[in-house]
Amino acid sequence: MTRFQIGDRVTVKDATSMFHTRTQAYTRGRTGVVVEHRPEWVIPEDEAWGREDGRKEPFYVVRFLQRDLWPKYTGFDADTLETECSERWLEPAEEEPK
Amino acid sequence: MSQTHDHHAPIQESGEISEFEILETAVRELAIEKGLFSAEDHRRFSEWAESVGPAGGSRLVAKAWTDPEFKARLLADGTETCKEVGIDWRDPTGSGTPSDYTYFYVLENTPTVHNVIVCTLCSCYPRPVLGMSPDWYRTPNYRRRLVRWPREVLAEFGLHMPPEVEVRVHDSNQKSRFMVMPMRPEGTEGWTEEQLAAIVTRDTMIGVALPQVDWTASEPPSKVGA
Amino acid sequence: MSDGYRVLFDTLEPGSRRESSLPELDGKPAPWESSMQATCECLSWRGALDNLERREAEDELGETIYLDFPVRARSAVVTAHALLDLGIIDQEELRSKMEAVRERFERE
Repeated sequence: MTRFQIGDRVTVKDATSMFHTRTQAYTRGRTGVVVEHRPEWVIPEDEAWGREDGRKEPFYVVRFLQRDLWPKYTGFDADTLETECSERWLEPAEEEPK
Repeated sequence: MSQTHDHHAPIQESGEISEFEILETAVRELAIEKGLFSAEDHRRFSEWAESVGPAGGSRLVAKAWTDPEFKARLLADGTETCKEVGIDWRDPTGSGTPSDYTYFYVLENTPTVHNVIVCTLCSCYPRPVLGMSPDWYRTPNYRRRLVRWPREVLAEFGLHMPPEVEVRVHDSNQKSRFMVMPMRPEGTEGWTEEQLAAIVTRDTMIGVALPQVDWTASEPPSKVGA
Repeated sequence: MSDGYRVLFDTLEPGSRRESSLPELDGKPAPWESSMQATCECLSWRGALDNLERREAEDELGETIYLDFPVRARSAVVTAHALLDLGIIDQEELRSKMEAVRERFERE
């Protein structure tokens, strides 16, 4: 059972990096939308240590608006970036204050 | 200290041998002597690498352009559908290698979305369908800047997308590998799959170029029209 | 991270420079570059030097210690550096192997 569904807004955690994480620095603390599920994989944090019994987790494709990722983004509002995150790196986005 | 070598006698047709070439040879030979891998390993990898170019990717796109059901299969399951053109991502002695990964996705360009691929962390690339990555693809110059200033980087390749088109950058940071399916250009009505495949060049499948009816990347630009 | 190795700095010929634009980095790889790629793959495949670690080292060392080297030479220089760091080869044997190779190329 996956924690996040397509369409959920999620924020990438700003957690301390263990070695070999593949969660990019530029996404930490940023909020995007889940657009796809990926098959469960061994998480890169375990795979790099050669653990065959590494922890498997759902992965998600998260799409960010570029203007939400970068200060003073010089492209256009429509522009986006997609990348893949394991479940442990995501948390539900906080509701924007109205 | 090393000796200074101002000139090496030209070797056969290849001209001077650079120090880097000597270094490469030395490293390889030492590695083989020490049993890190075998000469046969190296030969097989080289042979495979030379045999794979972007032809597989071009074929996938050309088929998708001409066969809607193939296109649907390709978009739904890229890894499996590649087998229909003889590419098996899971077979290391076929057209995949252990350092490639096995989940392959084709990204369809539309009038409102233009896709472009990068791997910021290490330059992963869909080698089974596109062959070896271009040198520029592997540089921090491309990898750092495409995610941050995509339109500027595309402009450096001569590609300008209108503001209303979403430029969607895919950073392949995990196990998926991507390839862009460009839109079929106008003026190609009635073309065969082979003719279509010829204009689906490597750069159009990375996303830094669009297919042109008069450009097949098979000859230098100076020989092609204006 | 160790400092760079003398034997590797010595491969940088006077007058060579780093490529300065993206298009300059395009173009078909020279045979030795392709051969180096194959070597890197074999080193990873057979377990001596993982591809990802090597790629990370290429980025890091290529932008620091070996900043003056052409990007095209990065795999060769950094892979040699990594093997030296790992103690799999040492500078003396690399130097003498290079001398032997150089002699062989010049002899033919």
